[in-house]
Amino acid sequence: MTRHSRASGAAAFLSAAALGATIAHAADGFPYRMVHRMSLSGAAPVAALAFDPGGKHLYAAVDEDLRSYDTASGAPAEVVKLPGVGVALGVAARDGGLLYVATRAPARLLILTLRPLRIASSVALRGEPSALLYDALGDALYVESRAGDTVERLDPGSGKALGLAHLYGRLGQMAVNGRGMLYVANAAHDELEVIETGKMSRAGTVPLSGCSAPTGLAMDPVGRRLFVACGNGEALVVDEDMGMTFVRLPIEKAGSLRAVFAFNPLGAGGWKGAAFMAGDAPALDAIQMKAFISYVGGGSLPLSGRCTSLAVSPAAGQLALALAPRGTEPGSTGEGATAAGAARDPSGVELWMLGGASQGVSQ
Amino acid sequence: MTGLRAIRAPALRALVFLAAVLPMTEGHAALAPWPALQGKTVVFVTSAGTDSSEPNDDALVSQHLRDLGFAVRRVDASAPASAADGASLIVLSSTADAHELGDKYADSPVPIFTWNTYDFPNLGLTGPVLHRDFEVIDPTQHYPDSFSVLYGYGANVTSEISRAVGLGPQLFGTLYLEPETAGWGRPGPGGTVIADFKGKPSHAAVFTYERDASLANGRVAPARRVGFFLGSDDFHLLTAAYGPAAKDPNMRRWAIGLKLFDTALRWAVSPPPPRPAYDPAALDATIRRVAHGKKILFVERVNAGEGKEADEHIVAHLRGLRFTVTIADQSEPETRARGEDLVIVSGTCSKWKLANRYADVPIPLVSLEGLMSDTLHFAGYDRYVDYGEHGEERESDDPEENYLDIVGAWSPMAAGLKPGLVKFANTPGVLKWARPLADAIVIATLPNEPQERAIFGYPKGSRMAGGFVAPARRALLPLDNPTYDDLTPQGSALFDAVVLWTLNGE
Repeated sequence: MTRHSRASGAAAFLSAAALGATIAHAADGFPYRMVHRMSLSGAAPVAALAFDPGGKHLYAAVDEDLRSYDTASGAPAEVVKLPGVGVALGVAARDGGLLYVATRAPARLLILTLRPLRIASSVALRGEPSALLYDALGDALYVESRAGDTVERLDPGSGKALGLAHLYGRLGQMAVNGRGMLYVANAAHDELEVIETGKMSRAGTVPLSGCSAPTGLAMDPVGRRLFVACGNGEALVVDEDMGMTFVRLPIEKAGSLRAVFAFNPLGAGGWKGAAFMAGDAPALDAIQMKAFISYVGGGSLPLSGRCTSLAVSPAAGQLALALAPRGTEPGSTGEGATAAGAARDPSGVELWMLGGASQGVSQ
Repeated sequence: MTGLRAIRAPALRALVFLAAVLPMTEGHAALAPWPALQGKTVVFVTSAGTDSSEPNDDALVSQHLRDLGFAVRRVDASAPASAADGASLIVLSSTADAHELGDKYADSPVPIFTWNTYDFPNLGLTGPVLHRDFEVIDPTQHYPDSFSVLYGYGANVTSEISRAVGLGPQLFGTLYLEPETAGWGRPGPGGTVIADFKGKPSHAAVFTYERDASLANGRVAPARRVGFFLGSDDFHLLTAAYGPAAKDPNMRRWAIGLKLFDTALRWAVSPPPPRPAYDPAALDATIRRVAHGKKILFVERVNAGEGKEADEHIVAHLRGLRFTVTIADQSEPETRARGEDLVIVSGTCSKWKLANRYADVPIPLVSLEGLMSDTLHFAGYDRYVDYGEHGEERESDDPEENYLDIVGAWSPMAAGLKPGLVKFANTPGVLKWARPLADAIVIATLPNEPQERAIFGYPKGSRMAGGFVAPARRALLPLDNPTYDDLTPQGSALFDAVVLWTLNGE
């Protein structure tokens, strides 16, 4: 069942200017500022975020809702009721723009058109999904099942299953190079699994020396760099062609981290490229790309809760984060929910949209 | 009495002599397997603790050594040399102050692996002159060169290190892609250049000295020594290939920086070959054993004037050892070598008449004539630069000579002679030399001319001059026309040892 509605009451739309003090402690060098900050009253943690290809809208998977926001104003737009709990999102420019939603209970892949935002098709997945990745260069769709230790390749038009790879360990984020290789962080083995996407066969592993519990993974398919966020507080930059780590930078320690990469991540005139990493840690870390062989720490931004999802859109010039109170991680008793965000809002779930200095602050 | 002293019979001593040769593949001692090295103690000499104000990778190296299975004892540069007592290896980081290190470890009987370039002279690994004998390239002082050190060249393809790494005569990636700090050294003639920068062995990126090899300062290596190109903070940039790249043979051969580090380290800590003893009787017994059933083609100028008698005596000596010797005139086709086990080219041959004969024969070859070093691919083509002679009237500015300087005493080719000067012939005469490529094992140079190598051997598979690959062992032993009859006992031993080594390589 699909329900369309305006989401006017779904989020408390807060003035970022009024909340500016919260991020005034951003470490030196972190050049981006809060553009929109929204409190999602009573909402479950945001499981996934995605921008549309043009950067006009941000989509958030919140329990059985798919919510959309106008990136310019930060205003809530539409809500689509999902037939399950949304756990992962992906966006494709193909066919006028498609949004992929992986749900659990039941495990399904939903394919939505963007204009209008509605479910166009739904196919069953073979296992409970934990992550989804659309490969724009290779026009392929991958769904990971951490519980099932699998990564499945699907047709991005129909959702038809095209291949399956079995992996063992604790699977984290996926990244793809657009040239036939898929990488999966394996936190149990401290390495990246490499899958040849044509046959969905394992092509080897990339060891991550000095990195333990890698969960976050992003890729620069042009520079052929993999960005790995490690639970022990290290971020690695790996040369994909050699499988060799050549940069190590300190980040916050965390049990679970996510990573995103983009060129000109927050608009023209800013950094050439950057990777952002956040998760259970108390801050968002940035890695600034100076050149394809030069990466430096880009500063960090204190977070009022744990980051449950992260997305970047060069088109929007924005970085979006979803925050949830600490202590609400899966398996947590909730006793540790003491973050400032939780104190302001009973649910403590927030959506942050950061932008470059040129972007206005929402009123 | 124990050990060698107790073994009196030449035959038994010959077995010991053979045993010294057997563990060696293509002239180099075998690497110890990693499991045999587990738990060995490495003394890692660095700057004082974590006080270094400059970024460095000492902690990473320390962890890496532990990961390899070593027990690591970290000390700073001010520690006394006794800090290494009982250790299996000393590793010197470039973060240790070279002036504070001084020569304290120079005489240590513990093997040393070092990337402290400024300390190379203190250890005798190179000469003392900065920029000529050694240099540290860094992005601040030498920005363009700091790119060139990202590329190493496989100078030597036959050493155990080279073979284990799969080093070919090709460029490879040393450090990851940013302008970095790296050091080079110019080892003495007793050193082995494994890899260099810019294809210049005088700018060695990785070089070694076998135990008992002569160092650049004329002293003798008391244990194995390795010089490596690393800077203080670029260990983590040593190249390696993982994942799909590791399946690409091209990338595997390119990204060998870390493998080179590990293998050179492993070589340093592996047991060196047994010290050969100078024992003419044992050598004689050994060569007689090997000679049985072996055939030598002796190529000479038949009925030569000067040297005819010496040729006859050489042949008689070889036959006396029970070699089957066939004589070929210099003008006969090289098909005469078919079915033979060894070719010896006499000094009586005319280079002009011999032309390029025997250069390519797929069996071992000993040349007694240094002036044929170019035609035989031993050295380059520039006479008096790549090869030459001492004592030949009107052809050399250098006086006659009858001594050689043994710099490769560790090799069986040195017949167990001690490092340093040895009286080769009784009277001064003509002595030839050449400048072989890095694959050659250098046994002796002319006195005071360390670049003029008189005795050397190329292992099978060596890269020789002009890109030629040695199809079998090759050796130079300079015996001008009449010199054989004037050899001292030590000179005769060298003759036999070179013949034995060259023949024994198959």
